Amino acid sequence: MSKYAVVGEGLPRIDGPEKATGQAKFTVDIKLPGMLYGKILRSPYPHARIISIDTSAAEALPGVKAVITGKDIGEVRYAFVDTPRYPADERPLAIDKVRYIGDEVAAVAAVSEAVAEEALGLIKVEYEVLPAVFTPEEAIKPTAAVIHENSLEGTSAWEEWGAAGRSHDYRAEVDIDNASARSAISFGDVEEGFRQADHIREDSFDAAATAHCALEPHAAVASYDPVNGKLDLWLSTMGIFLKRFVLSKALKMPISKVRVRHSYVGGAFGGKIDVFPYEFCAAYLSMKLGRPVKIELDREEVFTTTRQRHPISIKIKTGIKKDGTIVAQDIKLYADNGGYRGSGAIVVFLCHGFSFPVYNIPNYRYEGIAVYTNNPIRGPQRGHGAPQVRFAIDSQLDMIARELGLDPVEVMLKNVRHKGDVLPNGDKLNSCGLSDAIRGAAQGVNWTVGRSQLNKGEDCAKGSGRDGARFRRGVGMSLCSMFSGAMYYPFASAAMIKLHDDGSATLFTGSQELGQGIYTTLGQVAAEELGIGLDDIRVVAGDTEITPIDLGSFLSGGALVTGNAVKLAAADARRQLLEVAAEILEVKVEDLNYRNKQIFVKGNLDKSISYAKAIQGSVFRKNGNPIIGTGSYKGNPETDRYPSLAKAKGLFTSAYGFCAQAVEVEVDTLTGKVKVLKASTFHDCGFPLNKTIVEGQVEGCVSMGMGQALSEEIVLEKGQLFNASFLNYRLPIATDTPETKDGLVDSLEPNGPFGAKEVGEGAVAGMLAAVANAVNDAVGVRIYSTPITPDKVLSALQG
Amino acid sequence: MKRLINIVVNGEPHEVAVNPEQTLLEILREELGLTGTKKGCDQGECGACTVLVDGKPVSSCLVLAVSVNGKSIATIEGLSQNGRLHPLQEAFVQHGAIQCGFCTPGMLLAAKYLLENRPLPSEQEIKEAIAGNICRCTGYVKIIEAITAVAHSTAQ
Repeated sequence: MSKYAVVGEGLPRIDGPEKATGQAKFTVDIKLPGMLYGKILRSPYPHARIISIDTSAAEALPGVKAVITGKDIGEVRYAFVDTPRYPADERPLAIDKVRYIGDEVAAVAAVSEAVAEEALGLIKVEYEVLPAVFTPEEAIKPTAAVIHENSLEGTSAWEEWGAAGRSHDYRAEVDIDNASARSAISFGDVEEGFRQADHIREDSFDAAATAHCALEPHAAVASYDPVNGKLDLWLSTMGIFLKRFVLSKALKMPISKVRVRHSYVGGAFGGKIDVFPYEFCAAYLSMKLGRPVKIELDREEVFTTTRQRHPISIKIKTGIKKDGTIVAQDIKLYADNGGYRGSGAIVVFLCHGFSFPVYNIPNYRYEGIAVYTNNPIRGPQRGHGAPQVRFAIDSQLDMIARELGLDPVEVMLKNVRHKGDVLPNGDKLNSCGLSDAIRGAAQGVNWTVGRSQLNKGEDCAKGSGRDGARFRRGVGMSLCSMFSGAMYYPFASAAMIKLHDDGSATLFTGSQELGQGIYTTLGQVAAEELGIGLDDIRVVAGDTEITPIDLGSFLSGGALVTGNAVKLAAADARRQLLEVAAEILEVKVEDLNYRNKQIFVKGNLDKSISYAKAIQGSVFRKNGNPIIGTGSYKGNPETDRYPSLAKAKGLFTSAYGFCAQAVEVEVDTLTGKVKVLKASTFHDCGFPLNKTIVEGQVEGCVSMGMGQALSEEIVLEKGQLFNASFLNYRLPIATDTPETKDGLVDSLEPNGPFGAKEVGEGAVAGMLAAVANAVNDAVGVRIYSTPITPDKVLSALQG
Repeated sequence: MKRLINIVVNGEPHEVAVNPEQTLLEILREELGLTGTKKGCDQGECGACTVLVDGKPVSSCLVLAVSVNGKSIATIEGLSQNGRLHPLQEAFVQHGAIQCGFCTPGMLLAAKYLLENRPLPSEQEIKEAIAGNICRCTGYVKIIEAITAVAHSTAQ
């Protein structure tokens, strides 16, 4: 029996009935009286100079209330990364140039979407088309068209948060005009490491750009109150406090005059944390007109203009001993961040940061360069860099293991890190269940059976395929790791808990429900700590005006960082409750025990008081204190500041989540089609606060990772997106669902609430190499790029 | 020119003035305020706008409102009765088949149609019945489990 009453249990989520009955309101469902509808005019060219914009015909169209261009807005810049080294490079509407097909040029507010759409067609823009570049390879050539010519001035967000300004220009280190960021780190002696190696491989891998595919389209509703000078915003977002900061700065409004409000978010997966021009424009238009304005993107706009996963080209050289010990690794990669930096500076840091906790490699060198191209902008997506780099590392490790005649699982077990290890940046692994995860995942796909067929050197098709030689099966594995939050704005999460006369409680949190079940999970944490049931908790969330700050639901800090804040707030409320109960019962606090909303005196069961009576008693005593508990927790309590993105130095996170993912695939050698039959993921999430929710996170990651391994890809031709629809993009549908065998490794993270840490992101990253390795196991061909499409498999089989 | 249509939505008759280009989805959301039916793509590809027209699932973003004159429409708002969740709704909640909730209304109506016409479907039949409803959150695993559970409990 569990030692806990509420956490750990797979309790049904508290927003379930609301969502099951269609009552849950999303941003797209918000409709305000007098609301106008906005639409955005976008660039049809990948790279062009704007000569002139004529909005007069659009303004004259009946029903049009305002048309704005970059000139109206003036000098406003913002970006997901805004540091002294990497100053913000995005504008709400283009002023001088457009840098990708879809770049925002003008915005219209009108009485209906149809009128706004018609007005867009009446805006005349004269462009001078410029030469464009579409791959990092082209972009880094000295003769390439330069996408951002000017160095940018101004005070960055990081400086406002207290970081020292720096005169340093990263371009001096890279000497590539189109480089947008660079991250480099090494430890040990890489050259010496390679000298010690018995076997060295060098390979190149390419991971494709992919789309988030959140079902709810991006939307914003802005309502400006001219009398009080206050702006209300409903946003489809993952972090209301970060959005409030960036938007208030861009709109030149005091932060206290901007209120970002609650609505449910219909999926995000990283794609709803950047600040977008449509959000700024909705706010700007509402402020200009004094009426509410709604902008909802259509699906093509969502695919094209709301970020994609970075396509990354990775060169990797690994040196290994005969016994499978990795002694050296050298990684160099280029990430294409598109027309603006987006999260380019972060992804080249995270390709290292999300990956280096997996294997203990004594001699290691890493360099990641993010490059501007005239492609759509890239941003965070579930795992943010990890799927791409794990694809390269674990594909190559599988090849090396085979060449040495070793079982890849044994090689992984030999090199993985363990609990107690200290990472080169100083982060300590207080929990790490990788070895157990590997064994679990291997068992989930009957690893030894699959491998033994290969190890005999026999054609693995014998006896394993459905149809003799045509269908062949194989197994593969890959590992991954993930932060549990980190230091970034607003750097901490706080929580408040208010107790009520009937012994129930309300939790106030600034976190954002986007499908991950955070309200339920946090409610369970609060209930457990308070000694009440989940039914006794109501969660008030997602409103910058009434809830305390929160890191936001990205970088997987929800369970650990916000969870700790909630646990501390509940403990604070419980302490106050027990103190007043002790006073009423005339005993010491240490003499009290509590269960089921009842406080007992130890050893004297007759002497007790209900929570309700104690809470009421507290109001009558003291100064009328109704008992409000507060708590807060930093993104990483061990450090003051965010890590250096460029040098990958400083502490990154309080705890790493880990997982091992194994799959069994079936390859149709006639068509090249690969089907995942079984997927087995063992996730070390420390402790599952809600087992059902944790399983759901893993299953969602596995599906997304499988899609990105096999079929998902942003198809671009000279910067034009060719598959901006669900039908052509091909994400997994129900019939693609494999048999899943998931397991959880309880490692009890000491920094986490009840031992919990990350669960929502990691398990995308291992699927890519797991599938690639399984394909190789099945048919003996190696695919070096994702997605592993039938044509690639077929041509490899024929080649 | 607007045209009057008469439709029965979740058992209640409505007379609605519609533009010829308006879709059933727009009428439900904008005119009748039934925002439980979701617009995910407006291209008939995601299934979030699935409703039942005379008992059959359709993508309401592809159906012109004028074409449903005289028909009966079931949306998510009509699935629970007298404050009690429909067994499918209950199972979706209990099995963790709901995450962000945006695909849920369409998914539930597709599942309802399946079980009404095929009370004890195989796993493959369940997968095929909801293959037109995209869910990015769950990987479909718990949705399939929830539908299976309802089929089995109804069969008993």
